[in-house]
Amino acid sequence: MSIIGQSITRVDAEAKVRGQALYPGDVYLPDMLHMKVKFALRPHARVVKIDTSKAEALPGVILVLTARDVPVNEYGLGMYDQPVLCGPGGVKEYTDRVRFEGDQVALVIAEDEETAAKGRDLVDVEYEDLPGVYDPIEAMKDGAPLLHPDKGSNIFTRYRIRKGDIEEGFKKADVIVEGEYRTPAQEHAFLQPEAGVAYYDDQGRITVIVGGQWTHKDRDQIAHALNIPADQVRVIYPAIGGAFGGREDMSVQIILALAVMRLKEKGIDRPVKIVWTREESIIGHNKRHPFIFQTRWGATRDGKIVAAKVTVIADGGAYAYTTPKVLGNANLMCTGPYEIPNVWVDSFGVYTNNIPNGAFRGFGGPQSSFEAEMQVSKLAEKLGMDPVEFRMGNLLDEGALLSVGTPLPRGVSIKKVVQKCAETAGWTQTASGWQAPKVDAINGKWTGIGLACAFKNVGFSFGAPEQCTATIELHGEAEIDRVILKHSGAEVGQGSHTVFVQMAAEALGVPVDRIELVASDTAFSENSGSVSASRMTFMAGNSIRGAAQEALEKWEAEERPAISTYTYRPPKTSMYDPETGKSEPNFAYGYVAEAVKVSVDPETGEITLEDIVCADDVGKAINPQQVEGQIEGAIVQAAGYALLENFIQEQGITKTRTLSTYLIPTVLDIPKRVKPVVLEYADPIGPWGARGMGEMPYMPLAPAVITAVKNATGKWFDEFPLTPEKVLRGLGKIP
Amino acid sequence: MSLHRITLKVNGSTEIVDVPGNWTLLQMLREKLALTGTKNGCASGECGACTVIMNGDAVNSCMVLAAECEGAEIITVEGLSKEGQLDALQKFMIETGGIQCGFCTPGVLLSAKALLMRNPNPSEYDIREALAGNLCRCTGYNRIITAVQKAAAVH
Repeated sequence: MSIIGQSITRVDAEAKVRGQALYPGDVYLPDMLHMKVKFALRPHARVVKIDTSKAEALPGVILVLTARDVPVNEYGLGMYDQPVLCGPGGVKEYTDRVRFEGDQVALVIAEDEETAAKGRDLVDVEYEDLPGVYDPIEAMKDGAPLLHPDKGSNIFTRYRIRKGDIEEGFKKADVIVEGEYRTPAQEHAFLQPEAGVAYYDDQGRITVIVGGQWTHKDRDQIAHALNIPADQVRVIYPAIGGAFGGREDMSVQIILALAVMRLKEKGIDRPVKIVWTREESIIGHNKRHPFIFQTRWGATRDGKIVAAKVTVIADGGAYAYTTPKVLGNANLMCTGPYEIPNVWVDSFGVYTNNIPNGAFRGFGGPQSSFEAEMQVSKLAEKLGMDPVEFRMGNLLDEGALLSVGTPLPRGVSIKKVVQKCAETAGWTQTASGWQAPKVDAINGKWTGIGLACAFKNVGFSFGAPEQCTATIELHGEAEIDRVILKHSGAEVGQGSHTVFVQMAAEALGVPVDRIELVASDTAFSENSGSVSASRMTFMAGNSIRGAAQEALEKWEAEERPAISTYTYRPPKTSMYDPETGKSEPNFAYGYVAEAVKVSVDPETGEITLEDIVCADDVGKAINPQQVEGQIEGAIVQAAGYALLENFIQEQGITKTRTLSTYLIPTVLDIPKRVKPVVLEYADPIGPWGARGMGEMPYMPLAPAVITAVKNATGKWFDEFPLTPEKVLRGLGKIP
Repeated sequence: MSLHRITLKVNGSTEIVDVPGNWTLLQMLREKLALTGTKNGCASGECGACTVIMNGDAVNSCMVLAAECEGAEIITVEGLSKEGQLDALQKFMIETGGIQCGFCTPGVLLSAKALLMRNPNPSEYDIREALAGNLCRCTGYNRIITAVQKAAAVH
């Protein structure tokens, strides 16, 4: 019987329920020192002077590090635009500036954490405050304070799409919907704050045990900043307490490595540990980008979308992080999974003195999905058409051209997905087309239903190098007794390691308990790429399948042990043409639709999510229980985004610095009923047909909820989160 | 900081610990007794990851001073299994898929255990109320509720 499609027990489950799984903060090494970071805590300033003498004089403080101690004082996932430590004395211009409150200025290493914290408070920093800019539209204007003067502008990324003739398109339109939408920031609020331990291993490598999403990229960024060869750095991921994109960019990786390097130069070869507090975590890592969309769409009387014009503005915050990639996604997805003959998109990523924004589940997709689905729902309303009927007439088919002038890869299932979602939620197909269900009344409340859909890439996009490597060793004599699978793919909670083992067992035809996984240690496992872009099952599966096949061939040829290292490379993608946007953006996609029934209390403004249907084409559910777990978790996270989570920064200072001021859903806040509908329309190049799926259920929830609220209240809300206050204000019940 | 000598029972065994007066129970468990199954998610009683059972009640161990624990009986996640056998709550958390990243899991298990110790037949609402202080960012909670219901059924 195939092991693919079985809900086997997670490989890490028992260690986690016994409290034996070690997270970065649980690593204690003999003779360990402790480190604290001096954060800027101001949004924009020049560091005039740093006086470390009082800190250094404190008994128990071993070393204080500042910008002068960083060999190459820059890092970043795509652009090296962020100093490791901000301060004077650098070779690179403008590294003496802090640009958001979480910029790091000094490191204090001491015998214990308490002393390190005291030492940090004794570091005197003299600042000259600079004017700040906190609104991306202000930041785009001439004369705005420049975050990075060397770049000459706060706009650091832009894309455009030009398809067809936009003016001709609008001339053909019988109805036009214009809108401006704003989407909020969101904090990942993974339960495990950033932490790590660094030391020199027995081969003299600087070794960092940390939670991240891409061991090899962490390693390379550490090596760059320390100006040492990458093979002198080793990154190990232990158990990781959630990520959701918030661990893609560096947090404590480089500073830990720097600390042990500088200590060793002073003859002190001791491990260093750091654990961020929740507040440090909240100001110290990126958020989901707030976006502004200015948009105008037109459709004909018979229900065809003929033109879409969108301006997309992403608040990048103080540094680039993944903005260029997030904006790339948003640029593509802001016209939805629809075939539109005339498209005009201008997208901008802009520096501000807010916390840098970056990767978060959906990666620009949820924001664009909100704008596109709101526009589509409003067009349907204006035409007097059922929203499902209207969508069905415009959704992309096999071979239809995207806004970027090329078709989606084969295996386009969005119409089937929307159909399945609508039927499950109670829509019916009548002679006159799709018809929405009646929503039961609830005493004293207003009720409504909404539906939205989305597409999302699987894997790296727009020409980014994309590959994933697996190593498989087969041991034994007559039979394969033991299999060693080496893979760097990170386990951040999503179940990747479990499905790796399942896929290896299937590819080799051995029971799962014969597979030993050596995971996420750059000393042993090769580059897998990141856990992001819903890519790991897809990419790891293909790498494991390739390695298994080669290893089995060697086994047949009597090699003992039979060892194969195999790198999977998917079909190539290409970057946007700078003028037209023409490109082959992605090699695979997942498709999703959600229908939501809500009730709204007209007195309190409170919204309850009564029923949610999520139809998600996952290609093939390798482990159905884990797939449903992703759907359920994504929906609750997206429900928080739509209704509850309200990340507030004022003049670059975060007001919501704790989990009692930044609220995420508790067990009392979850939807009443969630029905996952797992669809399996195989991806032609996915392993066993699997598509990626971790982000997809997140994507259409906010627009589905807000369309349902419109259905219940008669009011469109173009901004969220829909907190009770915002609802009452929208309904004119409070000023 | 002067040290306080505290005698308490942790997972059934008597421990004598010298701790600074400003240390929390959470710090003592992790730093002195090497019980790192109890997690620190916020150190301010907001996330529930550090939940343990103290004298029969679920508490946020980050909000209890170690010095208050003289004579107390503490159960941590390491004390849930008996002779290596998983507690029903642990078993059903695995079976229902109530675990993803696992960082909230120890606290969730202890909140649920305290509930079942005082109320062997909880309603769904009782379960939600007992878990209201335990944040989970991965699972969406439903499978956790199911796990507690199943454990209650065999309790």
